[in-house]
Amino acid sequence: MTVASPRRTGLRRVPAVVWAFLLIPAAVEVAMVFWPALNSFYLSVTKWNGLGAAQPVGLDNFRELASDDVFLGALKNNVIWAVGFGGLSVLGGLALAVALNRPRRGVGLYRSAIYLPMVFSLAVTGLFWRVQYQPDGTINTLLGAIGLDSVETQWLANPDTALYAVLVAAVWRQVGYVMVLYLAGLKSTDPTLDDASAMDGAGPWQRFRYVTWPQLRGVNTVVFAVTVIDSLRTFDIVWAMTQGGPYHSSELLSTYMFQQGFTFLNLGYASAIAVVIFALALIFIITYLVRATKEET
Amino acid sequence: MISAPLSRRGFLAGVGGLGVAGILGACATGSDDSTGGASSTLTLQSSLSDADPKAALTKVVEGYTKTKVTLNTIAIETFRAQLPTYLNSGNPPDVMTWYAGSVARDYASKGFLLDVSDLWSGSGPCANFSPALKDLSTADGKQIFVPTNYYWWGVFYRKSAFQEWGVTPPTTWDEFIAVCKTIKSKGVAPLSMGTGSTPWVASGWFDYLNLRINGADFHRELLAGKHPFDGPEVKAVMDHYRQLVEFIDPKGRSYSWQDAVTPLASKKAGMYLIGAFITTAMPSDSVDDIDFFRVPIIDPSVPVAEEAPTDGYFASAKSRNVSGAKDLLTYLASAPAQQQFIQLSKSSNLPTSSQVDTSTFAPLVQKGIKLLNESKSITQFFNRDSSDELQTTADTALTKFLDSPGDVNKILTEWQASAKKVLGS
Repeated sequence: MTVASPRRTGLRRVPAVVWAFLLIPAAVEVAMVFWPALNSFYLSVTKWNGLGAAQPVGLDNFRELASDDVFLGALKNNVIWAVGFGGLSVLGGLALAVALNRPRRGVGLYRSAIYLPMVFSLAVTGLFWRVQYQPDGTINTLLGAIGLDSVETQWLANPDTALYAVLVAAVWRQVGYVMVLYLAGLKSTDPTLDDASAMDGAGPWQRFRYVTWPQLRGVNTVVFAVTVIDSLRTFDIVWAMTQGGPYHSSELLSTYMFQQGFTFLNLGYASAIAVVIFALALIFIITYLVRATKEET
Repeated sequence: MISAPLSRRGFLAGVGGLGVAGILGACATGSDDSTGGASSTLTLQSSLSDADPKAALTKVVEGYTKTKVTLNTIAIETFRAQLPTYLNSGNPPDVMTWYAGSVARDYASKGFLLDVSDLWSGSGPCANFSPALKDLSTADGKQIFVPTNYYWWGVFYRKSAFQEWGVTPPTTWDEFIAVCKTIKSKGVAPLSMGTGSTPWVASGWFDYLNLRINGADFHRELLAGKHPFDGPEVKAVMDHYRQLVEFIDPKGRSYSWQDAVTPLASKKAGMYLIGAFITTAMPSDSVDDIDFFRVPIIDPSVPVAEEAPTDGYFASAKSRNVSGAKDLLTYLASAPAQQQFIQLSKSSNLPTSSQVDTSTFAPLVQKGIKLLNESKSITQFFNRDSSDELQTTADTALTKFLDSPGDVNKILTEWQASAKKVLGS
């Protein structure tokens, strides 16, 4: 009781202005974010093309999704994307961070050069790489110059390579970002531990695996969250480079949702795809949070 | 010391107040539209966001002095998605840009479009438009659309290149294949076609072959779902398409329609079946060297049909200012406004009004007018005659076909299945 009463008066003593500052943004957030998001759940069980009232159709949209080849292809591509994008950018970023961690002449130049692509928006990255991937573009020219003519292909027009070609472009941009995160993490590790283990005769791999890596746990949390979120929300770079083509071979859930919603005006169906994306993101994040909290306690 | 926090608090309250006012203001814009302005200003909602057409329309609208007109330009993707909302809102924009075809007719059948039949009769601005245009703008016996310009499709080529290669524009299918063979023998890709980021370009040949083999009526019915895509008629179309595959520049699969103009301009490709908008993508030093010919006749017994996508305006049935909207439509459809728009937008579009003096237009455009006047029937384009959703089924089927023409039967079966899904919904 003695604890509770000052707290209550404390709450009452919050000035009106503060309440205003708390409630107005909250109202805006509810009106602009939560309410539309909730509407999206409702729309996912309706058929609606923006005209008149939405017709409730129960779970028909989800049933249709289950037999929609384009959707299933997009789902598969999203898995490939999450694994490829997450895996390559984390491995690449970590390797670069470790390689460029030690102060050396000109290391800053390398770091900035690798981070530079991050400055461009994804749409610009996409357009830039689209030029490289042109039939007579840099990549095919380089391959030809080193005698690999047989590998030359129309990277973005070939259904077997389109998705991976876009993936490379996305990783190219992301890797610098992950590198910077890991560089910051490596700076906060204790160098004396490294020296001590070196004295004890640990090899470079052992020192990284058993001394440095455990100290990077905090950074890993950030990198994991950033990567999962970035890979699920990927849209712009695919749209700029292939628009999901050729014939849906590089379609992701996000691009398919955009097409269904804003090109065809199948807003109910598009909302159903949005709900699936939301559920996937939730599964990832909840599993991760559960794991993270367990490790901390 | 006491006054300082007080004044700060006052300042903060003021800022908070401003924030509230801002939010209220934001909310109020919606109601602003629905209460005020109905009679004092007209709103023209436009999807022409490319620089030249946008500037041209701005100039044309400035010439309308009776009432103040607000021109809202919105990117086409957003415009398309928002269009049902525009049409259905309590106070819709007075006039909207759109194109003729099945989407407009679809809206009309639901009663969303303003009946503008009076503009098409008596001394109305559209009274002298061609019967084909009137037919195109009619739904359920009423006119609901005001076409102001259109363009033609044709096989474009460089005159100097044809001279170098010693070929002349063909008029029959056999001659056309012979020209393709000759051009190929010079080490040049006979046909350019950018189906990478603009896969709809592949529908150009499909539409034309269907028009030449099965005729315009069949084509329209096919796109309305009355015939199957895996039937014998479409197979005959694909048989002809298949003869072209070896002549199409394979690099076009990575190009947009604009990119694919470059090989044509640099004489690395011979011909390009595309709309008259090609002149906007052509380097200025070779524009005068560009010419076109009619897609060759395959079956002389089939009446000649051409694609002539038509652009214009319509208004909402819920318009609060019907007379104002019609007056603005009358102005936009008038010959001077049409001429001004076409010339300022630097396009090769044709005016729908026969009163526009076309003698000052480029020879190419005059040839385009002649082409359309000589054709028995006019179609729009695959997506305009059906829907954007059916267009993607065509994109998938045709780009797949270009990659593996041998699988044509399987591809047509898949196409029919996905078309049925779209048309059934």
